[in-house]
Amino acid sequence: MKWTYFRRETVFLLSSGIILLFIICGALQPELLDTAASAIHAGILNNFSWLYLISAFFFLAFVIFLAISKYGTIRLGYDAERPQYTFFGWVAMLFAAGMGIGLLFWGVSEPLVHFLSPPPFLEPLSPDSASFAMRYAFFHWGIHPWAIYTVVSLSIAYFSFRRGMPALISSCFYPVLGDRIYGMPGKIVDVLAVFATVFGTATSLGFGALQIHAGFSHLYGISSAIPVTIGIIIIATALFMASAILGVEKGVQVLSKFNILLAIVLLSFILLLGSTPYILNIFSSTLGGYINNVIDLSLQAYPFAGYQWSRDWTVFYWAWWISWSPFVGLFIARISRGRTIREFVLTVLTVPTLFTFIWFSIFGGSALYLQLNRGVDLASVAGEDVSLALFVFFEHYPFTGILSLIAILLLSIFFVTSADSATVVLGSLTSGGSLAVPLYKKVIWGLSLSAVAIILLLTGGLDALQKMAITAAFPFMIVMIILCYTLWIGLSQEEALPEEEE
Amino acid sequence: MFEKTLIPVAYGEKPGELRKIGRLLRSLGSESICLFHVSDTDSFFGGSDHSWLMFLKEELEEIGLSVEIRTGSDHIASAIAEAALMEGVDEIYLTAKRHWQIRSILLGSVSRDLLRLADTPVFVHKIRPLLPGEDEGTITRDDLIVLYATDFDTASNRPLPYLMQFKGAWCHILHVRGRRADPRAEERKSSRVKEKLSLLEEELRPYYGRVTSEERIGNAANEVLFVSDQINADVIILGRSRPAFLSSPMGNTAERIVSGSKASIFLVP
Repeated sequence: MKWTYFRRETVFLLSSGIILLFIICGALQPELLDTAASAIHAGILNNFSWLYLISAFFFLAFVIFLAISKYGTIRLGYDAERPQYTFFGWVAMLFAAGMGIGLLFWGVSEPLVHFLSPPPFLEPLSPDSASFAMRYAFFHWGIHPWAIYTVVSLSIAYFSFRRGMPALISSCFYPVLGDRIYGMPGKIVDVLAVFATVFGTATSLGFGALQIHAGFSHLYGISSAIPVTIGIIIIATALFMASAILGVEKGVQVLSKFNILLAIVLLSFILLLGSTPYILNIFSSTLGGYINNVIDLSLQAYPFAGYQWSRDWTVFYWAWWISWSPFVGLFIARISRGRTIREFVLTVLTVPTLFTFIWFSIFGGSALYLQLNRGVDLASVAGEDVSLALFVFFEHYPFTGILSLIAILLLSIFFVTSADSATVVLGSLTSGGSLAVPLYKKVIWGLSLSAVAIILLLTGGLDALQKMAITAAFPFMIVMIILCYTLWIGLSQEEALPEEEE
Repeated sequence: MFEKTLIPVAYGEKPGELRKIGRLLRSLGSESICLFHVSDTDSFFGGSDHSWLMFLKEELEEIGLSVEIRTGSDHIASAIAEAALMEGVDEIYLTAKRHWQIRSILLGSVSRDLLRLADTPVFVHKIRPLLPGEDEGTITRDDLIVLYATDFDTASNRPLPYLMQFKGAWCHILHVRGRRADPRAEERKSSRVKEKLSLLEEELRPYYGRVTSEERIGNAANEVLFVSDQINADVIILGRSRPAFLSSPMGNTAERIVSGSKASIFLVP
């Protein structure tokens, strides 16, 4: 009986056991954990930072090729199936998946930090570094993250909806592993997906908690000590756990839609009350620079000057997106049933990316406008504390307090909805792809997400969050490269399908 | 079917060795041999004195084969392929052993080119079957083990008439393919393959003492080489498909099998 349970729940037991070990080690020996994580992180970066760049570019080229190839007309589902959601409903949900804590956290800060500390070949605080900062903000939040998500979501959607297999990463490995997907090799693939999701989500939750805390400290002078951040995580955990346990799926959906509306209101406010033509010029010129340089940006590691900069930023982002990809990929796959590969890839790559570009142009562009034309030194604020820059930025707009509260509300809702969804996804990944996740698994994964975020904040703050995202993403990046191969095998057998059906 | 065989020869060919080859080909059904030499006009030996060829001809005639001599020039592989067509031979005989004296070495450029260019079946003689007179005696059809590699496409169906002509003790049919993308498709494919293999077994049973079949999933060249070693095959029979785009730098499946195998290869274009 026990043996049967163990065999059925191997993925859950293995992944939760190792993550529990990580939490215990972090609680009892934070220095040891930090040393070990730093050593692994340094090893990966020293030897494989190039692989992150090449892989992300390859994922982009691969999905574009699929969209324009003869496979573009293949439907993610049976041939007679039609999409479950209307186009606009689907696009709105893609926004919801793409928009999150990260946009609020980095929207103002990232262009400012690049502007303040560009690679050594650029002069800090110069017009060139401003242009560089915006271009790289577009690049890090542009088409590549969505290509990374697309590889995972397309694979899951294809093997699950068209080939009738469970919605698990291991299902996509059938062409290479065969029946071994039900054995240890398949379980290891799923465990790697769980690790990536836990650390990727915990990183975002850590960012969210840091910024909510920074907002409260800035508005109400609350202590900036780390126990307060932990308190914020505990309160948010109680909220998202309640939501996940009660199964208020509809409530979460309503909250997500409300959040998007709120984000659009905030965006419009900053656009209309800021220097609108300046922002639109930034959008236009950065978009041009991005399109013109996208291949160079994709593969540029700056080995002669700026190598460290590329590792600190581009590699971190690629790793973060990769670690988010099982979670976002699974979500996008679920809402995309019935669409063709071409429609899926082209929409996922363009629509959310365009929205993100607008977001960065408005927030980052306005921040640079204040810095360059109004003499407001926001860059120094971002340089000292990236989570604070957004709230200092709001000080230069009317209704500062309300804007800050809206931002805190947005962050809190994103925190709750992301963590709630991640809990359900983790439960599903560790329950053989089933959506009927037992309560105890939801509780364990919910607590694990928050505990990992707390442990990482305690061991090294923002730095530790970034290190763990890069470390956890590495094995999953290898999984993703194999996913491209297995998806290719599956698609190339499409022509033989009708004959084999006979 | 194997009545007439073209053997490319070069200056320095050992008559004793050629005699053994002649006996082997005779045992496989050859009655007539076309000795073909490609002259290199720049070579010291490239003159018109072909008396050494006459000597080789006599060696083969002594064992009861009818022999004719033909010569050609220019690109060696193209000249051999063209001569095979012009002379209407049934097969081209190559040996991977003579020139290098290392039996399982990679093929030389001429042989590789010929395998790609020839429109006539090519018999590449490797370690097995042993030539008559060597340590373990001569090969006879009573103990010939043949491995037929197929994926049921047009190219792998072309060798079937030759396979029936070969005859022998044991024919093992090997079907190699990639795994289907999902368990249901895999199951369907597997049952269809088993069905086809069973029909093929029946078709070949009159020609061999024993006919077996096997289905494997994986890389075609690797699986063929593995099974060939496992069953100690004397000859691997396979069809040559049009080389895939970019296959040349790596070598296509047939080339890899020819290079890596200890068994002889009968490659049907």
